Amino acid sequence: MGDKVKVQEDWLAVCSGCEIAVLDLHEAILDVLQAIEFVRIPVLMDIKDFDQHTTVGILTGGIRNEDNEHVAKKVRETSDVVVALGSCAAFGGIPGLNNINAMSDIKQAVKTSTSTAPDQEIPTSSELPKLFETLRPVSDVIKVDYFIPGCPPDAFLIAEVLTALLQGQEPQLSLKNVCEDCPRERKEKRISDIKRPIEANGEPNECLLNQGFMCMGPATRSGCGAQCPQVNAPCTGCYGATASSYEQGAAMLNVVASAYGLDDDGTVDLNEMTKDVYDPIGTFYRYTLPVSLIKAKITEKR
Amino acid sequence: MGKKITLEPVSRVEGHAKVTVNLNDAGQVDDAHLHIVEMRGFEKLLQGRPIEDAQRIVTAICGICPVSHHLASAKAADNTFGVEIPRPAALLRELMHMGQMIHSHTLHFFYLAAPDLIFTPDGDPKKRNVFGVIEANPELATQVVLNRKRGQEMIRAIGGRAAPVTAKPGGLTKGITEDQRQKMLKDAQDSIEFTKLGLEVAAPLFEQYMDVIKILGVVNTPMMGLVKDGNLEMYDGTLRMMDTDGSIIKEFDPTKYADYIQENYQDWSYLKFPYWKEKGWPDGIYRVAPLARINVCDKISTPLANDMLTDFRAAFGRMPQQTLLYHYARLIELMYASERAVELLNDPDITSTDVWAKPEPRAATGVGVLEAPRGTLIHEYSTNDEGFITKANLIVSTGHNQGAMDLGVREAAKLLIKDGEPQEGLLNRLEMVIRAYDPCFSCATHTIDGRWPVKLELVGPDGRTRTYTNY
Repeated sequence: MGDKVKVQEDWLAVCSGCEIAVLDLHEAILDVLQAIEFVRIPVLMDIKDFDQHTTVGILTGGIRNEDNEHVAKKVRETSDVVVALGSCAAFGGIPGLNNINAMSDIKQAVKTSTSTAPDQEIPTSSELPKLFETLRPVSDVIKVDYFIPGCPPDAFLIAEVLTALLQGQEPQLSLKNVCEDCPRERKEKRISDIKRPIEANGEPNECLLNQGFMCMGPATRSGCGAQCPQVNAPCTGCYGATASSYEQGAAMLNVVASAYGLDDDGTVDLNEMTKDVYDPIGTFYRYTLPVSLIKAKITEKR
Repeated sequence: MGKKITLEPVSRVEGHAKVTVNLNDAGQVDDAHLHIVEMRGFEKLLQGRPIEDAQRIVTAICGICPVSHHLASAKAADNTFGVEIPRPAALLRELMHMGQMIHSHTLHFFYLAAPDLIFTPDGDPKKRNVFGVIEANPELATQVVLNRKRGQEMIRAIGGRAAPVTAKPGGLTKGITEDQRQKMLKDAQDSIEFTKLGLEVAAPLFEQYMDVIKILGVVNTPMMGLVKDGNLEMYDGTLRMMDTDGSIIKEFDPTKYADYIQENYQDWSYLKFPYWKEKGWPDGIYRVAPLARINVCDKISTPLANDMLTDFRAAFGRMPQQTLLYHYARLIELMYASERAVELLNDPDITSTDVWAKPEPRAATGVGVLEAPRGTLIHEYSTNDEGFITKANLIVSTGHNQGAMDLGVREAAKLLIKDGEPQEGLLNRLEMVIRAYDPCFSCATHTIDGRWPVKLELVGPDGRTRTYTNY
């Protein structure tokens, strides 16, 4: 017992999918428990105060309210190494997509869009916590040593990183993009038009981007084994930017521009492309808006 | 000026819940509330997105039941465009949903609820969790881990990942192979055997705690769930609202839910409270999820689960209201989901590649309803003529139960707190009332530990504070 590495885990603004991903190690989790001892993990056992120092602290979810920030800081103070697990902790994730909307607009939408609760006022009781204006990744409030991306991260990627840490090695994330792990064949670089998944079911063996679907594979770090393209669903970019690019959305926009021929074909009209690319924020920045260059709220001109 | 008791689950996360109890000068419970601290804003986040991206986004509402959100969203999109999906696609979606039930019900009962019963509600909190079960009964723990895996592997085979990606308006992106079918068939059959084993473990525990079951958190409410030809149903069918005396208040087309269900805010919670429109608030409070589904159906279409239902009704009557019976009902549903998975896997259409029909986008409103592990889940979208979402309304499973949970907590507090002093074991018993519903507050504070860490602060009229914790 004494030799086990002490680990703590806590969750911030989450859906609990990352915790489920850890459980998805299935039988292997029983082996993991031979090597580590959880001293704090609210999802699996009773919360203890932050009175035990641990070698590894794992955090899931982004920072949405003051409590999240408090917990993140406590875990940082009481851990040698902090791991941000999952795309919310690492980049803000899907809830971060709401950063383009002001909190007042979000509340207004909740209030007005519901057909079953017209004209209801949002509660204001002091028992309810205050929300921050935007959702931020964990690294915005504390120093993070390692991150494991994915929505959710693959169970075996989690095991790999934790095993490396337990053995005193530097965990390495994939340096490849999703396409390099994808069995689909990319015959040509050019695409003539953009297709929505609603317009067709993709051909099984040909590159989805090649077929015109906005597959985020080229701009997305691998580590998932290209699970989505393998079941005929375009990659939505949940592992974030590749090791060699700074900004996932810009990198993908670059890929699409090249595929349109904007690099080398003078007859291609940029305006055509921007017209065809539907929902660029939701497509290119679905998981990474809070760490993107786009910081400002978007105001539509009418 | 009386005392105020705050019970706060320490998991300080978006979506966490807490309970406050107000005592009068005589030390009696004046009032008590369950506060749900949720503001996800998915209604806003979905606006402007193409409807086929909704299925890929809403899986992030809940990491435990992503399949339910994925499929409710797909059904809402089908309904919006008026597209009839091919039969094999409907079978595969339902099968994926059975995988969800197997994973989630196994998780909740054996990881979360059973430790309370195995180690007793007053047992050592350090052991009363899944690690304690692993230590005390490694053989059972291994079986539990394997059964949850069977459900997750079913989801992965059809949905591509644990948080699935294959459902879209018109059907699915792909079918399954014969190899996959055979593997899932064996898993589903093994899940039936596992459930028999689970019942052997659980039945004596229900016996042992009958006195607790009879009184703790009992509230009388109507209940709602899907039925199909009177049978228990998880994926399709009509919604049935049954009164406390077992009479049917209404059976209706789920897409017409807004004609019958309204929601309001109460100042103590960010989560809206649905209620039966005709009865108004708060008389219209009703319940959903396993006990409600088991109660509203006439029978179950699969034999072993139907036998369990017969035994259940012989023991507890036609419309039992005891909240802790949610656990028993969950086991019956685990059996149904396993048996139904076998049926679906033996359907000759299940390996068909005819899994998608092309929808035509239009400006319309559509509704998708199914029974998630934690109850009736409703997604409603409106689109513009290109199929981009202009409006979204979501009623998540736990929402329906919020009113009853709030009542149950109040009743339990009145039962347990006399003369201002909480009785021994109060904290865990209050937790047990809430836990029975397997609540998933924004699917975020859904703890898997078998207990809710609770801090109780008693502030006296003199300002003196006494703190109790159960951790």
